[in-house]
Amino acid sequence: MQRAAHTALYDWSQIVGPAVIRRCLKCRATLQQSSRAFSVIPPPRDSEEKEMLDRILRVDHAGEYGASRIYAGQMAVLGRTRTGPLIQEMWDQEKKHLEKFNEILAENRIRPTALLPLWNIAGFVLGASTALLGKEGAMACTVAVEESISEHYNSQIRALMEKDPERYTELLKIIKEFRDDEMDHHDTGLEHDAETVSI
Amino acid sequence: MAALLRGLRAGRALRGLGSVVATPTATTPQCSSLRRGFHCAALRLQDESKSDKPPSSSSTTYHEHYQAHSTEQDTTAASQEDSASDPAAETASGPNTSYQDQSGEQGEEYETEEQLQARILTAALEFVPQHGWSMEAIAAGAETLGLSSASTGMFYNGAGDLVLHFITHCNSQLTEILAEQHKQVQLGQAEPKETADFLRDAIETRLRMYIPYIETWPQAMSILLLPHNIPDSLKHLSTLVDDIWYYAGDRSTDMNWYTKRAALTGIYNTTELVMVQDSSPDFQDTWNFLDNRIQDVVNMATTAKQVECVVSLKNLTGLNQRR
Repeated sequence: MQRAAHTALYDWSQIVGPAVIRRCLKCRATLQQSSRAFSVIPPPRDSEEKEMLDRILRVDHAGEYGASRIYAGQMAVLGRTRTGPLIQEMWDQEKKHLEKFNEILAENRIRPTALLPLWNIAGFVLGASTALLGKEGAMACTVAVEESISEHYNSQIRALMEKDPERYTELLKIIKEFRDDEMDHHDTGLEHDAETVSI
Repeated sequence: MAALLRGLRAGRALRGLGSVVATPTATTPQCSSLRRGFHCAALRLQDESKSDKPPSSSSTTYHEHYQAHSTEQDTTAASQEDSASDPAAETASGPNTSYQDQSGEQGEEYETEEQLQARILTAALEFVPQHGWSMEAIAAGAETLGLSSASTGMFYNGAGDLVLHFITHCNSQLTEILAEQHKQVQLGQAEPKETADFLRDAIETRLRMYIPYIETWPQAMSILLLPHNIPDSLKHLSTLVDDIWYYAGDRSTDMNWYTKRAALTGIYNTTELVMVQDSSPDFQDTWNFLDNRIQDVVNMATTAKQVECVVSLKNLTGLNQRR
């Protein structure tokens, strides 16, 4: 719980990377519009790498978006109960993750998934319906979702490490951090009687 | 399978030259080896025409080289393409067109196949008003570079290759212009434009590149609509629209990404269609049409924002509570 709070305050500016000079990939250049001189992902060497990174980041973006909607659904039902503030806190962290991915997508001209409206509705419905089972139901939902998100992030980390850990240090750092946050949510869910849910 | 068909087609094309060719039994159809054969032959012809040999001997040496190459291909069935081409180049005692050094540094005389194709297609554009978007134009282009018109055999997609090359060229020109404009704005030397104006100027600039070829453009459009060209032409269209929006400042990461690009694609396509039928001076009707379409989209966007009744309805029913 305390760790969750600590990571919530974790300053993004601590992620410092070397200044990267962007190369023009054929004619699809990205522009250095932000004031920061670093980028999270390296300029892709070829279209294959670009596609791989695009897919990874698109999926992550969709995942965080869905997670945010799940918490929104839970809040819609349990917002005014005792667990409201707890869910709100976890939701705020997910919003931060989503913001980060929005930034990365925009900077690197990555297309967002076309299934966003689907995740919007599905996430909200999932969150709301499990919350209707009570606080334990909401926590059980959180545990299940966070567990699969962590697994997903872990396999991404493995894939990137296998390819080239040096090249993707920034990205790996971010994914590891988010994975740790999700594990915290998972543990929080367990702490708050997820396993006592009676279905 | 497709490679085998291409190999056979290439073989048939050679027979059309009127010289007796041993049937290229491409048992292990390495289509790119065949292409290298053409490439090698084309380069050799280039050198030979430079050294002023009579045309008849150049076609025979081309034929000889092809035979040498195809036998080489048969004997070195499982070998690397590089080593297959290499001894072929050497046995034909041609000039130094070594393929060993493909990945790294390349000598000044060496150019890749893609570069050669690009050069031929660029030269061919000159002949489009005369021959249309066709193999004749490509052949004429090849001839201006000193290559035999048989080098059109390199282009499996024929006129489609020419049109797609032109489209790519126009797109990269546009991207350069937009990047330059963006730089000007960053340096403070120019005022940033309104989105509507930016879009209008970008599309006008892009469509103006068609003006020299406007007579034959309907033919090009129909070539792009052929089923085997559709994936490529769609890809070029989507990168064009993405580039324009990117330089217009769009950084959306939600459904707006899709709606904006869909809207701009619609505008671009309809304006293109109007342009090929336009006979007004300097295509003024087309630009007016473009103006109106962009205005429509802008109006729709503002109207959507102005749909306040939905918001007030949500407020009334208590759905808008912020926590």
